[in-house]
Amino acid sequence: MTLVDRTRAVLAQAIEVYRGTPDEARLVATMARLDEPLRVAIAGRVKSGKSTLLNALVGERLAATDAGECTRIVTWYEDGHRYQVTLYPRDGEPRPARFDREDGAISVDLGGLAPDDVEQMVVTWPSQQLRRATLIDTPGIGSLSENVSRRAWALLATEEEETPADAVLYLMRHLHAGDVEFLRAFHDSEVSRPNPVNAIAVLSRADEIGAGRPNSMTSARQIAARLSTDPVVRRVVQTVVPMAGLLAETAVTLTETEVAHLRKVAERTPREVEALLLTADRFLTQMPELGLTSFERQHLLDRFGVFGVRLASTILRRGPVTATELARDLAERSGLEELQAVLHSLFFARKDVLKSRSALLALDQLAHDQPRPGSLALATEVEEIIASAHPFNELRVLSAVRAGWVAGKPAVLEDLERVIGGNGTTRAQRLSLEPGATEAEQTTAADLALARWQRRAESPMSGHELVVAARVAVRSCEGMLAELAAAR
Amino acid sequence: MAQKTTRAAADGDTAAAARGVVDQGLKACTAYGRPDLGERLTLARRKLADPGIHVVVVGEFKQGKSSLVNALLGVTACPVDDDVATALPTYVRYGAEVGARVILEGDPPVREPIPTDQIRKHTLEGGQVLADGRRVVGVEVLLPRNMLAGGLTVVDTPGLGGLGSAHAAASLAATSMADAVLFITDASQELTRTELDFLRRARDLCGTVACVVTKTDFYPAWRTIRDLNEQHLRQVGDVPLMAVSSSLRLHAVKHNDAQMNTESGFRELVRYVTDEVGRGGADRIAKEAAREVIAVCGQFSEQFRGERSALADPSSAQQVIDELTGTKQRVEMLRAAASRWNQTLSDGVADLSADIEHDFRGRIRKVIAEADEAIEEADPADTWAQMEPWLLSRVSYELVTNYTYLRDRAADLSQVVGDHFQQASGDLGQLAVYDPAPLLNRTEFEADITLERMTARKQTMVALKGSYSGILMFTMLPGLLGITGLAPIAIPIGLMMGRSSLRDEKRRQLAQRKSQAKNAIRRYCDEIQFVMGKDSRDTLRRIQRQLRDHYGTRAEELNRTTAEALRSATEAVKRTQVERERRLKDLDAELVRLGQLQQRAEAVCK
Repeated sequence: MTLVDRTRAVLAQAIEVYRGTPDEARLVATMARLDEPLRVAIAGRVKSGKSTLLNALVGERLAATDAGECTRIVTWYEDGHRYQVTLYPRDGEPRPARFDREDGAISVDLGGLAPDDVEQMVVTWPSQQLRRATLIDTPGIGSLSENVSRRAWALLATEEEETPADAVLYLMRHLHAGDVEFLRAFHDSEVSRPNPVNAIAVLSRADEIGAGRPNSMTSARQIAARLSTDPVVRRVVQTVVPMAGLLAETAVTLTETEVAHLRKVAERTPREVEALLLTADRFLTQMPELGLTSFERQHLLDRFGVFGVRLASTILRRGPVTATELARDLAERSGLEELQAVLHSLFFARKDVLKSRSALLALDQLAHDQPRPGSLALATEVEEIIASAHPFNELRVLSAVRAGWVAGKPAVLEDLERVIGGNGTTRAQRLSLEPGATEAEQTTAADLALARWQRRAESPMSGHELVVAARVAVRSCEGMLAELAAAR
Repeated sequence: MAQKTTRAAADGDTAAAARGVVDQGLKACTAYGRPDLGERLTLARRKLADPGIHVVVVGEFKQGKSSLVNALLGVTACPVDDDVATALPTYVRYGAEVGARVILEGDPPVREPIPTDQIRKHTLEGGQVLADGRRVVGVEVLLPRNMLAGGLTVVDTPGLGGLGSAHAAASLAATSMADAVLFITDASQELTRTELDFLRRARDLCGTVACVVTKTDFYPAWRTIRDLNEQHLRQVGDVPLMAVSSSLRLHAVKHNDAQMNTESGFRELVRYVTDEVGRGGADRIAKEAAREVIAVCGQFSEQFRGERSALADPSSAQQVIDELTGTKQRVEMLRAAASRWNQTLSDGVADLSADIEHDFRGRIRKVIAEADEAIEEADPADTWAQMEPWLLSRVSYELVTNYTYLRDRAADLSQVVGDHFQQASGDLGQLAVYDPAPLLNRTEFEADITLERMTARKQTMVALKGSYSGILMFTMLPGLLGITGLAPIAIPIGLMMGRSSLRDEKRRQLAQRKSQAKNAIRRYCDEIQFVMGKDSRDTLRRIQRQLRDHYGTRAEELNRTTAEALRSATEAVKRTQVERERRLKDLDAELVRLGQLQQRAEAVCK
């Protein structure tokens, strides 16, 4: 019986126990959630580029973005059959809201409600991307407007253990690990208890790091790599990915007209372009022979930023490139593809585990808070699953390793993390093989890993924690070998 | 603008005029054989030569503080890096040629020259301890720039890291020593709440604060951001706002492009720094120096007037001598430990010491209560890693508030002591036996009360600056707070295999962890209290010594003046008629000269 099946069974049992109580509806919803897409919240400090990243991930400009603070209501973006927006007021029944798309972004008519009166907003939008994951956009922390901040808090620190999101993307601008704000950015956002199991950090607005110099992304990559190995960061997130959000958003929504305008810039000599792009103001006003109106120039800047215009014109000058090729190139350089790959291997490939985890945590809390005849048995059953399901053991060891609770040589711990799926759950990733490795190669590697971890589990030199962790690793190796045997 | 320029030119003259009167005053001291007064003027002269006006550049991480300092000076003085941030304060000041020095921990701090290519290693994260184990607390860069020649020092600081952090607390403390603060925020977003809070507190502490929006070249929407910030700044009060592009300015300097320089927005910033901050500071120091000259002139006039009275009217000579003897006795009293100002000082410092300690104890108790609450709310196993920085920032915040309290109270005390001294010595002045006013044909100078008071309060700042050298404030807090660090707490690994409901065991362990955590916090706070208690007592003692020395010296000077007057008056009686008339002529000439000097000094003060 798979983990999801076991979770579903215990939830069904719970619905029986709580039938007729106010909690029944919640349990039914929790059960339904198992079949829904994974819920990924996008959190971070104010102006860290949350809405921009959301648009880039969806591949459409849905969330409004602006220079000032913009997102003021917690907004869910989910897949559906028709386009619709539902408001959940603080007082009163949910109601549909009128909306239109102004300049691409959805503009919602709150129907007389102040943003403060709206608990949350759900945007239903038919989209391939949203079918894979429901995205939650949040107002930032540290906003100058007290209410906006408080609203973020309300979502982030929910009172029940039940968590609205299964996984979290933390956005941060360039900060330092020793920085208290940095820690706060994690500490505040308890959408789903910061945990290296279900959280990824995104070094957003990466193009700003070198103030838009051509090598900005290289700098950003180095910084992200350094941050990912920082012990404080490792405690709270799995990895740090750099990303130029604006560029990514534009890359996935690039239009032919924009490319045509960029070509006009690319026709100029590099020296001319450099002088023109010295400042944003100069780009808007100088060189009338460029053949672009000030409106068109402003549009380019809004969409690409100074860095983006520099980069795109350089790519276009290098050789004949179609609009599609340019879009792909920009998406890759913006870090979007890398982020999607990381999301896939760390979140989507593990979605059943993450969803079951959310459901079981909710159920466990309920069983202890609202005792009823039969709830004790439920709690025992939940604990049984949590304690025995191998994927959970892997996650638990992973967080223990990340938190520094398991003592061992760095190379051994790195191996441990990999084998239990810390860098991705495919066999190739666990065994540190090329993605295209044959099954024979995989079997050999898995055998070796098994022997290695059996030895470590039985070695009298291993500390208690490492022995426990090694047993989990052994079980992971056995699992892979079993899969390989079944495939043969 | 034109009006400003003339005013600025006038300010430049003020410094030169001040130098002139001080030099003349020094000559007078030598001529009249009063090296004690000469010393007082030598100090003023030294201060005029190097006014040491500090402009502190503060802001969050990665807002372009170092780039701004570089662009302001038109050279790369402070290292800039995409990733690594400035970790030590960098003091950029005037030097005849380019050079660099590291400032090493110590009281007073030691400066050691380093090759300029090592600035980078020292200012950026990492190179903070020398091979012999001495800690580097700052870097000094010397540059032959005109802008700095007037004694301006631009201080580039490490990023704040949020208002609550220990760094921010140290920066705040440093702003209280600064003559002006430039708060840097980039055009990527409007001011955040923490930034505004910092600005508000910095304004309370320093007075001259300006906000600079950077990176206008990179953010097309910088005008929107600037306007939003302007609105936010209205809540803080009178804070000028400027928008600049450092990279454009450096580009302009490189290509000598005046139009591009204007476009970079630096023209306005340079004007602000040189005119309003630099000249404003130099002007204040010039006035202070002129005040010293006036005071010295007063002493000489006092001395000569007694003698002149005795000479002019031999019949009343005995009366003059009697009065002077009376004055001398009163001056002796002023010097004595039992004098009123001295009593006020000793009592005041004792009271203050108790109050400061009580205040700090109250604050630490509040911190402990908050920590307990936090520990109750969450499992220390999850939150312990964040607890230490939190505690550090909380404690430093309270430290700075306590320090500000100490500073303000000590300044008040200083003023009271000054008033008492003034009252006692003012009585002496009323003994103007001979009124030289008609002779000199001048109006009596009205003592500028506010300036008088400022001088009294300044003594506190002199003591405070002396103790931390203005430099150590940046590093003092983190240094002090690093005394013990929080003890780690044992966290049993949460790995449980198989089926074992251990809720009770878990609960027991949690309770144990919580009490362990609470104890660790208490131990840490005890240690802080111990160290800080000593530190604030020492600081107060230093203030007491500074004030006692200051007024003691003043009393000594007065004593010497009355003694001289008494001696010459006694001698005057013995002189022949011819001698008397010649001496009278000399004295009148001296008094006229002194009067003229005093008038010139008064002109500087206006």
